[in-house]
Amino acid sequence: MTASTAEQRLSETFAVLANSTRRAILARLAQGEATVNQLAEPFALTLPAVSKHIKVLARAGLVVRGHRGQYRPCAIDAMPLEEVLNWAEQYRPIWEARFDRMNDYLTRLGRQQEASKKDD
Amino acid sequence: MTDTKGSREAVVIERTFDVPVDVIWQMWTDPERFKEWFGPTDATIPVAKMDVRVGGRRLVCMEAQTPSGLRSMWFAGEYLQVVPNQLLVYTEFISDENGNAMPPSEMGMSEGHPTTTEVRVELEPLDGVTKMVMTHVGIPSDSPGAAGWTMALDKLAARVATGSRR
Repeated sequence: MTASTAEQRLSETFAVLANSTRRAILARLAQGEATVNQLAEPFALTLPAVSKHIKVLARAGLVVRGHRGQYRPCAIDAMPLEEVLNWAEQYRPIWEARFDRMNDYLTRLGRQQEASKKDD
Repeated sequence: MTDTKGSREAVVIERTFDVPVDVIWQMWTDPERFKEWFGPTDATIPVAKMDVRVGGRRLVCMEAQTPSGLRSMWFAGEYLQVVPNQLLVYTEFISDENGNAMPPSEMGMSEGHPTTTEVRVELEPLDGVTKMVMTHVGIPSDSPGAAGWTMALDKLAARVATGSRR
């Protein structure tokens, strides 16, 4: 996977998590699976509103829906969350490479300056 | 704010460069200098606009050759703190070519927020060389700041860890 794809997916996970209701839903699911009705209980939200949040979480791979007849409990999938928590790990090599290039560039600039001094 | 060093949510890199502090300041604030080092090896930076003052905007385009053709990515942001040769803080988010934040609409999120990150560069002159500390942290737009976001995530992570042991 290329760095930009990983970055993009990370951005998407971040965007999904940039909502306190969705984070609260995930926190509830971290304690065990739950139905949409159970998830809606602590919130002053309608069932469709909660369903919408769950759809967004499911699309981002943070929540999986089970199939038990009529029953479709939600469960958390911590994988994308791990990626967010390891966010720094993904960006560190990108920055390290940038600063290596900055250093190379500074060396080139230094040489150019010395060369132009000799020309004087 | 607490020290974010060692946190999994922030990149903190300390480097010492063998040049005076104003040269490093230029590396970050002069678009022509910035273009030379910021992009990955296989990418170029055809556009870098920087209005380096508090509240000033920035816009950077990265261009890379991919199997499906030339791909451009735009990043915009705002300067939050500007103290020449000492401190530079700016935000960054994925944008269009006009610097407008790109909503994650491809995910069907009507109320989706753009993801913003914050880059902080601290410079310190040390006997002709320059110590630089760069901090990069992700901030969702509904959080008051990086500290709150980090706490929320840490709490969630702790609960996930507990849950997965069941």
